[in-house]
Amino acid sequence: MISTPRQALGNLAGLGVLLLIWVVYAVYFSPTQGWTFFLQLTVDGIILGSIYALIALGYSMVYGILKLLNFAHGDVYMIGAFIGFGVLTLFGGPLNPAIPVALLVLCMFVVAMLGSGFLGLAIERFAYRPLRDAPRIAPLISALGVAFFLENSVLLLLGANYRNYDGYDLISYNGIHLGGSAGVFVSYLGVMVIVGALLLMVGLIALVRWTQFGKAMRAVSFDREAAAMMGIDPDRVIAITFFVGSALGGAAGVMFGLVYSQIYYLVGFLAGLKGFTAAVVGGIGSIPGAMLGGLLVGLVESWAKGYLNGNVADLVVFGILIGVMLIRPSGLLGTPALKKV
Amino acid sequence: MKKVMVAAVFAVALSILAATALGSANAPARAKASSLATASVTCGKLRTIGMAAPITGPASDIGNQQVRWAKFFVKRWNANKANRNQKIKLVLGDTQLGVDTAFAVKVAQSFKSNSKLLAVVGPAGSQEVVASTSAYKAGGLGFISGSATRVTLTDGHTDGNRRGYFYRTVPNDGQQGPTVANYMTKTLKWKRVYIIDDQETYSQGLADGVQKILNNRGVTTKRDSISQTASDFSAAIAKIPSSYQGIYIPWQLAPQAQAFGQQLQAAGKSKIKLFGSDGLFAPGVWKIAGSYDSAFPYNPADPAVKAYVKAHGGNGEFFGLPSYVAAQVDTLAVTRACKAGHGKTTRAAVRKQILKTNLASSLLGFPVRFQKSGEMKLPAAFGIFQIQKNGSFKRIG
Repeated sequence: MISTPRQALGNLAGLGVLLLIWVVYAVYFSPTQGWTFFLQLTVDGIILGSIYALIALGYSMVYGILKLLNFAHGDVYMIGAFIGFGVLTLFGGPLNPAIPVALLVLCMFVVAMLGSGFLGLAIERFAYRPLRDAPRIAPLISALGVAFFLENSVLLLLGANYRNYDGYDLISYNGIHLGGSAGVFVSYLGVMVIVGALLLMVGLIALVRWTQFGKAMRAVSFDREAAAMMGIDPDRVIAITFFVGSALGGAAGVMFGLVYSQIYYLVGFLAGLKGFTAAVVGGIGSIPGAMLGGLLVGLVESWAKGYLNGNVADLVVFGILIGVMLIRPSGLLGTPALKKV
Repeated sequence: MKKVMVAAVFAVALSILAATALGSANAPARAKASSLATASVTCGKLRTIGMAAPITGPASDIGNQQVRWAKFFVKRWNANKANRNQKIKLVLGDTQLGVDTAFAVKVAQSFKSNSKLLAVVGPAGSQEVVASTSAYKAGGLGFISGSATRVTLTDGHTDGNRRGYFYRTVPNDGQQGPTVANYMTKTLKWKRVYIIDDQETYSQGLADGVQKILNNRGVTTKRDSISQTASDFSAAIAKIPSSYQGIYIPWQLAPQAQAFGQQLQAAGKSKIKLFGSDGLFAPGVWKIAGSYDSAFPYNPADPAVKAYVKAHGGNGEFFGLPSYVAAQVDTLAVTRACKAGHGKTTRAAVRKQILKTNLASSLLGFPVRFQKSGEMKLPAAFGIFQIQKNGSFKRIG
């Protein structure tokens, strides 16, 4: 469900021009000039954006198939982060892992993705499926209810304490220096997040484009009733979509914990909003749009923090959301709604 | 002219009417406030004190530390056989610090209306103290904060007058800031200091105070700000020049400082030392070796401190320790007031007893007595600690 190649190209060209103007200003005219600083912020933004992109995919997939804004998705991501932390603690913690680090990290991802995936299935089964034929406001309210339910459940069960992954202790403080020791630095952890997110996104695209399930998913997204008449079970397809989207959210939670360390029961709130923003900016319902939106939100946030101030980063990110909505309501790669006359 | 005169007379008459109406409307409120303060309460075997703290919301981590310490005191008090006829019940109110001070006001109003409630621990934030003062005063309740450190809270005019009602068991920012600045300039000889506040009143007050002193002494400073909910510090770290010797982070969330320290190390800037405030005094949580921290010199040898640390898996959560002392002061004041009133007391009597507090020793590491302003009579100097490789805090100044 993306815009035509011509529309997408036009949007991307406009975006490219804007980015070019920004780069020239940031590097040559801003008070904090220079390529190194700019590139450092860009690398940091890509790492953050990769995580937002994974969250955005969950929003976008569910919206694409159900036209539902699943506001509980940010909290599924939070629970994924907690599951990953649980696995880390179970195997001795970051300083004394009982099993090889690579295996431990793999376990964290697999268990968190499965846990979040099944949570997504449960949410869909009990909170959304009964409301499938209800007015659109009903599942939206239900989604908000699930979000608060999950947050407060974690607060009650695990307490309000922050938990630190200490991901750098677990993996490494080292990384790659680009352009010498005073140049741009990318930690191995950052590289892992970028590569991991990329692999998951490629996997998702492959799933949607080249598998039977992907075809069914696209069919249900296009016309649920017609798909059902063709022998597709929409409930099954929707459930699996929730599973996949939630699993990606769980993976994003673990990545967030590893890189940014601290997690607590409200960690999904703002990240969820940013993921949602990314999905909307990219064009909600569009998988490439969610990826592009995630990267953009991460980059803008990083640049805003670096060139302006931490105080205004969220202002800029959400300001851009408003701007995109005003100029192109369907997002950068989204399809404008068709009007039947 | 005649019309103007008529209008003026009409306006004056209206003003008088309005004033009379307001006066009569306020009179019952004042009478009610007065009656709440002096209403007789039967003490019984279980006395009630309230605790206003951020139990949920962005600052819930520190709020729950405070609650755990206060509950720890109440548990110890109630477990003592000598107190079997004067047990304490702690009623909690969630102020959600960092979301909206309206929550703190609602808690204060509910405490005010609870006729059994005799005194209050909290609230946690200075802005919450300012917002909820009128409710506590209207209810005649004494309230003791274990973490509201804004200097002007007790000066009697800048942020309102709450003398006789508000007390604190934590030294204020005016005492902590100079200690930190002195150590930076005189002992560490720092010439370039980066300062990052966490956008909360506590943090901004301390950051402003330290920056002002450092600038007056010719130290180059740069200022930035991050949110208390931030986890990604990469952009803030990228801005810090490697030539800076120290970063002052007067924050309240030790896990945030830990994450910041790790990201600083990962960015190859581990040579720049971190300097925190009492809000970060959390051995085992903030454990970036070589970092500095200012905190009140609590007594680690005190059996209560040892018992708490043991009960919480080695994590002292010392930010909440002044709330233990606040609960202790409230409890002792209620007990004395009940004894003096032969089983009956009033909120006003409890407030008088709070002012008369005289703890020869406390978990804070110094005696606790109060001035009329609500501040402690201090030798309460702040200590400077350094984080060791094993994560412990060693006092060095």
